[in-house]
Amino acid sequence: MAKKTYDLLFKLLLIGDSGVGKTCILFRFSDNHFTTTFISTIGIDFKIKTVELRGKKIKLQIWDTAGQERFHTITTSYYRGAMGIMLVYDITNEKTFDDIVKWLRNIDEHANEDVEKMILGNKCDMEEKRVVSKERGEAIAREHGIRFMETSAKANINIDRAFSELAEAILDKTSGREADADHARIAVERRPSRAPPARACCS
Amino acid sequence: MSLHKARIKAFQDVLEQDVIDIVQLQRLAFNGIPDEKGLRSIVWKILLHYVPHEKNTREATLQKKRQLYQQFIDEIIVTPGGPTDHPLNISPDSSWSTYFKDNEVLLQIDKDVRRLCPEISFFQSATEFPCEKVVNSNGMKRLHKRVEQSMLTYATLERRGLGVSKLSSEIRRSDSVSSGDYAPLNEGCEAHWEVVERMLFLYAKLNPGQSYVQGMNEIIGPIYHTFAIDADKENRQHAEADCFFCFTNLMAEIRDFFIRTLDETESGINYMMGKLSHCLRKNDADVWGRLEAQELRPQYYSFRWLTLLLSQEFSLPDVERIWDSLFADDNRFSFLIYICCAMILLVRDNLLSGDFASNVKLLQNFPPMDVSLILNKAVEISNV
Repeated sequence: MAKKTYDLLFKLLLIGDSGVGKTCILFRFSDNHFTTTFISTIGIDFKIKTVELRGKKIKLQIWDTAGQERFHTITTSYYRGAMGIMLVYDITNEKTFDDIVKWLRNIDEHANEDVEKMILGNKCDMEEKRVVSKERGEAIAREHGIRFMETSAKANINIDRAFSELAEAILDKTSGREADADHARIAVERRPSRAPPARACCS
Repeated sequence: MSLHKARIKAFQDVLEQDVIDIVQLQRLAFNGIPDEKGLRSIVWKILLHYVPHEKNTREATLQKKRQLYQQFIDEIIVTPGGPTDHPLNISPDSSWSTYFKDNEVLLQIDKDVRRLCPEISFFQSATEFPCEKVVNSNGMKRLHKRVEQSMLTYATLERRGLGVSKLSSEIRRSDSVSSGDYAPLNEGCEAHWEVVERMLFLYAKLNPGQSYVQGMNEIIGPIYHTFAIDADKENRQHAEADCFFCFTNLMAEIRDFFIRTLDETESGINYMMGKLSHCLRKNDADVWGRLEAQELRPQYYSFRWLTLLLSQEFSLPDVERIWDSLFADDNRFSFLIYICCAMILLVRDNLLSGDFASNVKLLQNFPPMDVSLILNKAVEISNV
């Protein structure tokens, strides 16, 4: 077997309306930079970052999606394999917050039932333009039993924390069933776009 | 005479003909159009069926089209002057409801044109020829103003002493922080991205079945850029009108890529991706097999390649060079498949040794490469 540079592979997905900052969040996390000069994402984009959690090297494979309706046929095909999904809205834009409900419905329709979810209210550095209060963000998250955080890719607020909390939640779910780590790794290697390894090895 | 000068001369000779020999022009353009003398601009207009082949009808056609475009601007942007019926009119075709629906489309366009080709300063700079009726309207006719105001105006009531209140209103500007250098210009001026915004909005209004889909900005961008830097002043002045019609003609050929309900049809994007996969399998079964085994699906990379005619994969000059060949080919979109296939073949060694992640990255961020290498390879494939 080829030597692996990681113990577990988690597949994450970023979704949300166009312009809320999905690509910027991902870029901040993967490259620790912020830039406003991003082109719009067409279809699907992809980044990798390895993090260490509880002594395990976890490779995060993160898919960044296009926000507009047209791309849903392309992007929803990624929902199935995702173990964690981040739903992003923009705290300075009411509509992007209202649409969170629509995105949640999308997840219900297309993702695995036990996928870990997290709502992010991005652009929280722009306090003077805020139209969605933090309380409303918290309320909708509570209502759906989902984690919530306000973030700023620009000011680097909560970006790392959001990803590690999501990863940890997945790890919690996985570790109970992870009797044989080697076995899991093989599952990861062979079936990169199917069920998460933990489930694959104990089915 | 140098080879380059000879090429320019060859183009000029064809363009001087009473009736253009289109086959000859296609053959020349396929090998790349020189940047000089506005050649690309005029040749694209011909290849995109905007300018007629007959020399003596050219001027009249252009004049007619350019007038028509002014008419579109008048009717759709300048004259409407806002909704006329009551805002609470519940009829779905009330002018208010149309106004709000339009603004939703406009908001999406606004977000995207401010993200167009950020690596060059062109779209952020002022056009020599702003649309006078729009830029001298006290901001009233500016499209981005419409979405700014409808979304972001608010008023606060301030209490001062006994029963004295002051209503202070303020317009929050959506552009001050988020759009960086894509800030709107002052009264009387207009940035190129504002021009692109207007064309896309008109297109959406005139093609309501399709409206605006993300990515169209990446198709119109290179065409507009080419026309707006034309050597001829009159052509530059009408770059917007000319671009609008050329874009419309090009979209007529590729619009199905942008329509979700047509994804599975023979002109839809899934079919195109299937064709690419088939082409790859035929030309390099090893690489095809490798990507299959890794479950690296064509849509991870080729959805964007094909939908945008590669405009996000290369720098603008390279995109323009690729489009010379694409527009010159009668089977435009078969050749697009060959180009995409050539790209994959040129990085085959990396793909054969790379794991899933590095392969997705490689294909999604195609390495800078001499485009003639890619185009030659594509021709080679097309001859098999």
